[in-house]
Amino acid sequence: MRKKLFVLFSVLIVGAMLLSACGSGAGADVKAPVTLTWNFSTEPPTVDPALASDTTSVDVIRNLFVGLTQFDPDTGAVEPYLATEWELGVDADGAQTYTFKLRKDIAWVHYDPLTGETTQVKDADGNDRFVNAYDVVYGVKRTVNVETASDYGYVTYIVKNAAPLNAGEEGFSLDDLGVVAVDEWTVMFTLEDPAGYFPAISGLWVMEPQPAWAIEEFGEKWTEAGNIVTNGPYVLDTWFHGGEMTLVKNPLWINADDVQIERVQGYMITEDSTAFALYENNELDTQGVPLPEIDRVKADPVLSEEFFNAPEACTYYYGFTNNKPPFDDIRVRTAFTQAIDRQSLIDNVTKGGQIPATSFAPPGIFGAPAPGTVGLPSDPVAAKAALQDYLDDKGMTVEDFNALGVTLMHNTSEGHASIAAAIQQMWTDTLGVEVQVENQEWAVYLVTIQNDTPLEDMPHIWRLGWCADYPDENNWVHEVFNNAMGANRLRRDSGLFDELTMAAAKAADPAEREELYLQAEEELALNEVAYAPIYHYTIVNVTKPWLTRNFPLMGGVDFFNWTLDMDAKLAAQGK
Amino acid sequence: MFRYVIRRILQFIPVLFAITLFTFVLMRAIPGGPFDFVGDKSLPPQVVANLEAKYHLDWPLWKQFVSYVIGDDFLGEEGTSLGVLRGDLGPSLRYRGQSVNEIIAATLPASAQLGFMSTILAIMIGIPVGTIAALNQNSWADYLSTFGAVFFLSVPNLVLAPLLIWIFALKLGWFPVVGWASKPPYLLGFLPQLNELNLEYFKHAAMPVFALGTGSAAAIARLTRASLLQVISEDYIRTARAKGLRERVVIVVHALKNSLIPVVTIIGPLFAALMTGTFVVETIFGINGMGKHFVNSIGNRDYQIIMGVTLIYAVVLVIANLLVDISYALLDPRIRFD
Repeated sequence: MRKKLFVLFSVLIVGAMLLSACGSGAGADVKAPVTLTWNFSTEPPTVDPALASDTTSVDVIRNLFVGLTQFDPDTGAVEPYLATEWELGVDADGAQTYTFKLRKDIAWVHYDPLTGETTQVKDADGNDRFVNAYDVVYGVKRTVNVETASDYGYVTYIVKNAAPLNAGEEGFSLDDLGVVAVDEWTVMFTLEDPAGYFPAISGLWVMEPQPAWAIEEFGEKWTEAGNIVTNGPYVLDTWFHGGEMTLVKNPLWINADDVQIERVQGYMITEDSTAFALYENNELDTQGVPLPEIDRVKADPVLSEEFFNAPEACTYYYGFTNNKPPFDDIRVRTAFTQAIDRQSLIDNVTKGGQIPATSFAPPGIFGAPAPGTVGLPSDPVAAKAALQDYLDDKGMTVEDFNALGVTLMHNTSEGHASIAAAIQQMWTDTLGVEVQVENQEWAVYLVTIQNDTPLEDMPHIWRLGWCADYPDENNWVHEVFNNAMGANRLRRDSGLFDELTMAAAKAADPAEREELYLQAEEELALNEVAYAPIYHYTIVNVTKPWLTRNFPLMGGVDFFNWTLDMDAKLAAQGK
Repeated sequence: MFRYVIRRILQFIPVLFAITLFTFVLMRAIPGGPFDFVGDKSLPPQVVANLEAKYHLDWPLWKQFVSYVIGDDFLGEEGTSLGVLRGDLGPSLRYRGQSVNEIIAATLPASAQLGFMSTILAIMIGIPVGTIAALNQNSWADYLSTFGAVFFLSVPNLVLAPLLIWIFALKLGWFPVVGWASKPPYLLGFLPQLNELNLEYFKHAAMPVFALGTGSAAAIARLTRASLLQVISEDYIRTARAKGLRERVVIVVHALKNSLIPVVTIIGPLFAALMTGTFVVETIFGINGMGKHFVNSIGNRDYQIIMGVTLIYAVVLVIANLLVDISYALLDPRIRFD
């Protein structure tokens, strides 16, 4: 039986080879479209703006859809996009409102993968559809709707009634949500509390206009190639789930003349070293550099020219469990923070030119202090003195201290493990303390470091990172560390810090907000030493000479701003 | 024989049920849920609750299990699950809007093609090499084959695969670095389209098939050698020689055929494992196969994908084992099933 199957399969293969040998046509002389070969690294879990929550999905969405606002790639400042202008107001109940005026020329388009044609979508009366205020209102309502179950729905909670609606509380209907279309081209948001950062939030993907009619027609499948209706610089050509995704330029896009890259051929290669081999073989135009390759890249005469280091709005930090002895004492937390030689860690372990961090929000975030100006710098002498002070006070020796079994935990990863090993050694060298390093798989780890874990199971020190959703301190110190907002993994007592970030969120004057955030950063990192900031991330990248790309401060990729010299690329590939 | 096959197929039912139950219970026992986090961030409890309600993870476990196996309508609940018994493996929890059936249909074909070719390669190398080694016991051919087998058994694919890429793709440029040349839609749902089956297809397949096939070939070669050596010393081989049969007939017809029983026994599970996808080789060669889902779905706590790929693997494995048992009767006339 098996033998027959083998024979059948072999016959099929040989037959097919013969057939295909006859069928291959002559190569056409058509000029190749300007094609970027790109690695998405992984299958985007979705390209639905209401559902996306991870960087890969958001990268795709950014090229397919528009938001009300966008961030300036270089400064991170909020700029007009779909909205041309917006103004602050107050409604009859005294709640803060934001009214956005929309531009009228962004078309809803449909791309047919079979014919390669992009056409503007018509409404029931046969009129061209342009993105309007009703699409924005529909989009926000859909994100907030409990049935949509949006991962990132909580970002909208500042909009009036979004939180109770998203919680499915009785007595609220979606019409109570604080977003209305004043007319076809004007949309007004009413906020729960004053929020100076709202224009930044309004540009996030979960607040983007969505095509009601397409979503109703195709349900969950509306994002598949052929079904999807978009309004951004690119359209979706193909999406072989898990394998490839191709985008092509939207000829009806408002700035179509400025979009130089006509086609983005996207792969989903998860293995860094493989993707890097593809880059070296001229099959990818730009790629992140895996850690083990950094030294070679820097030493190689060609690769070092293509190497690029750009700041990324993320911060790597070690949290302390602030109520677990001996870390309930600020002197111990100070000693452990100041004993970390951040620069040496960056030079010898992470190697990506990261920026040493002494406070939380990285440069480019509104309200973020300049790196190194706030918080505790590395200082072995001060660290030693702080620990000695604590030991003398408690009548302990270092051996007694070590008997407490201080534990550092991180989620399982080679990178985190080498950072932990280096810092563990710094603590031993500087303070003479022995720290055990443990690791857990990510999902288990997140449960372990939750606020409700019994104190005896909670590690004293644990690793986490944070990346920006929008460039405002509210997204940093407030959403992560404020006891009323965040998960309070630090197990701090509420205090001045929490009041400061609250006040900063509600303050209207940007200068006042900036000042309050500065104080909040200082309170948490210097006066409380509730956590140890370690470094701000960088992107470590190589880019072929024929590609000109940017590295937006807020992360993400905008293919529509890049340019590529296709002749040079084909020449390098020997075609 | 027919009755035997029917009996074996009926035995699949409790086996597959037990696997379903065990997998279901085990994965729920791991701490952490599918919606606790996105990337480097954890999600607020309210959002987690919405997501769990959408996918019915807020139901009691027994109810979720019943829903998974026989469907929501049996429970009198509103829901989309038709149940595994009606071929519905449920929605993925991570890839929104994709069903596990779709994910498997998209990834299993590449894995199956790769696995099939690797198994063929393993057999084509393993059996001849093992035979030559046995017939020339303690000669240089034997030592060479032993060395080769130990080498390929002990070099893991994690090392072998990047090495192949470095030598044959980057330095020599003979093969493409990554990828699989056959894409959906597949012929009959799992075969490459005929116009894809060209030199390009086999160029893409060469390195992953080599990486996967050689390790298995080494195992088959060692087993063939050992088994053949044992059979050659049997009385009936001496009888065959005493009858004056030619050596070639003695070896091929009498010795080799009988010595293949243990070899076939390992080929069954090997075939099942290779067909359903291998994590390391598929990841390194950038092949969109099912192997990655065996590993990633656990990290993602994508319960439905864990269940789906485990069940597919289990089904292929029991069928492969059945085929192995049937082939015993063909190889050894002394074995009868009734």
